[in-house]
Amino acid sequence: MLSEYLKGNINFLNRVSSWEESIRVASDPLLKKGNITPKYIQDMIDNVNKNGPYIVIVPGIAMPHARNEGGVIKTGISFLKLQNNVQFPEGKEVNIIIVLAAEDNSSHLGLLSDLSSILIDEDVVNKFRNSSNEEEIMNVIKMVE
Amino acid sequence: MENVIKAKTPSFRARIQAVGGFLTNMVLPNIGAFIAWGLLTALFIPSGWFPNENLASIVDPAIKYLLPLLLASTGGRMVAGQRGAVMGTIGAIGLIVGSDIPMFLGAMIIGPLGGWLIKKFDKLIDGKIPAGFEMIVNNFSIGILGFFLMIFSFYFIGPVIEAANNVVSSAIKSLVDTGYLPLLSLINEPAKVLFLNNVIDQGIYYPLGMQETLEAGKSIYFTVASNPGPGLGLLLAFSFFGKKAAKRTAPGAIIIHFFGGIHELYFPYVLMKPLTILAMIAGGMSGITTFYLFDAGLVAGPSPGSIISYLALTPKGNFLGIISGVIVAAVVSFIVTAIILKFDKKTDEEDFTSSIEKSKAMKSEGKQILNPSNELSNTKISKISFACDAGAGSSALGATTFRKRLQKANIDGIEVKHYRIEDVPEDTDIIVVHKDLLERARLSHKNKRIITIENYIEDPNLLKLIDELGKR
Repeated sequence: MLSEYLKGNINFLNRVSSWEESIRVASDPLLKKGNITPKYIQDMIDNVNKNGPYIVIVPGIAMPHARNEGGVIKTGISFLKLQNNVQFPEGKEVNIIIVLAAEDNSSHLGLLSDLSSILIDEDVVNKFRNSSNEEEIMNVIKMVE
Repeated sequence: MENVIKAKTPSFRARIQAVGGFLTNMVLPNIGAFIAWGLLTALFIPSGWFPNENLASIVDPAIKYLLPLLLASTGGRMVAGQRGAVMGTIGAIGLIVGSDIPMFLGAMIIGPLGGWLIKKFDKLIDGKIPAGFEMIVNNFSIGILGFFLMIFSFYFIGPVIEAANNVVSSAIKSLVDTGYLPLLSLINEPAKVLFLNNVIDQGIYYPLGMQETLEAGKSIYFTVASNPGPGLGLLLAFSFFGKKAAKRTAPGAIIIHFFGGIHELYFPYVLMKPLTILAMIAGGMSGITTFYLFDAGLVAGPSPGSIISYLALTPKGNFLGIISGVIVAAVVSFIVTAIILKFDKKTDEEDFTSSIEKSKAMKSEGKQILNPSNELSNTKISKISFACDAGAGSSALGATTFRKRLQKANIDGIEVKHYRIEDVPEDTDIIVVHKDLLERARLSHKNKRIITIENYIEDPNLLKLIDELGKR
């Protein structure tokens, strides 16, 4: 499930100027495909400002998301990898940003389950972290699907 | 708009809270030692209930060494575990010997500082020690760093704090010269809780008092810093409105403070909630004012400053004034402390429950070692809820990962769900939240066991929980 949702939503970039910027850039594919509106991007940024950088789910990987208050049209997920780390609040260094947009409370759980399978396995997550193009990412995901 | 405002207040408050919580946690575990010392002092010093020269010889080393070292050790442990405790204690002995007065404040600084140093060092060399050399590096790093810290605190921190003490003494002298005695409380009360009470009483007020007594037969100076009223009011307020452990220990402290005259017993309570110093100042001031209005005084220095020595040293005709001064001071400090505690109640509960959480977890760990099968099988855990702001993203990721881990560990019969923090149902046995969200989770779920994590996939606290569940 994860691989088909991520298809075409994967970007690689050298650096961004701020964590807010990283969320904006990472969300871009979802915005273009109409999964989300600009409001959702702002909601995700506000969420970090309000609740802290808890969206940094494991060291180095952030999963920006927020409650759907009208900003999510259709469940989707996108991926951005940075060559250079960006700093989230409290000094958390991040180089992989996985934007999660959940339309309702259940349609995205399959995506998270696959993501969890990647993160839980040390070998797989290392391959995931070291991927340098869309094809490699897809191969990693297919290992766990 | 509302969200933005909400966003800014907690982080600032949380920081203040963190400092207060840190002081509390450094002092609270050691209150037993203060009580032991207080009992010893009240009973056996020359002016105590059963003067005993031999036993009284413990009093001085205990307040000079035992109590500060305990504080430093606890402070170091809080920053860097057992290694921090060792470092902090090593540092504290330097400043204790480097000065002539009890070094509580210094110990509360050097303890965490020592812990911080060794933590930084350990981080620096992490992963760089060749296999087989861990033990020698670990021991010698503390040994060498501790050696320098000892010398540093001997030559630097101890004397700095002692110099501060001298400043306090001369400030008091110049206040006395102004003639406005209630103002003395402004310095007395903070100086007292830093354990300078004997210095200011016996060093300044008693000599002044004795002079005046020679002329007038009594003196108000004996009362300005030894009035047991403000401390009584503070401890009463803690007994009624304090948080759990402080509330439980305060009544015992009242007996030793008010009847035993050992003011040191209330100092930790002020140190753990520094704002209450205002209550002590207000209480002290109103006490002095009352003594002054009644033109009351004592005939000698009440040492220890208990209600009993007060009454014993009150000259005829002064009882009304002396007793009123004590009562007024107690009432005023009680009211002010109560307001401060009430105002602070919410913060307190959060602070405290999290430390209760910790001690509970430690207890159950201890039990596990002693009694692996029985104790824990009694505590039913059938539902674990992961919670976050939206209840859909990180909490769902955490829950699905945790389910996989349970499966792998062959643990069944446990339901793992994810929710918005506020929506976690009552039948949940354990709530898991990110540490940034603890405050909010605690607000909606006062009595639940809450586990905090920083990593949704393999946080050490989650792995411990799996261990615990596996052993049932």
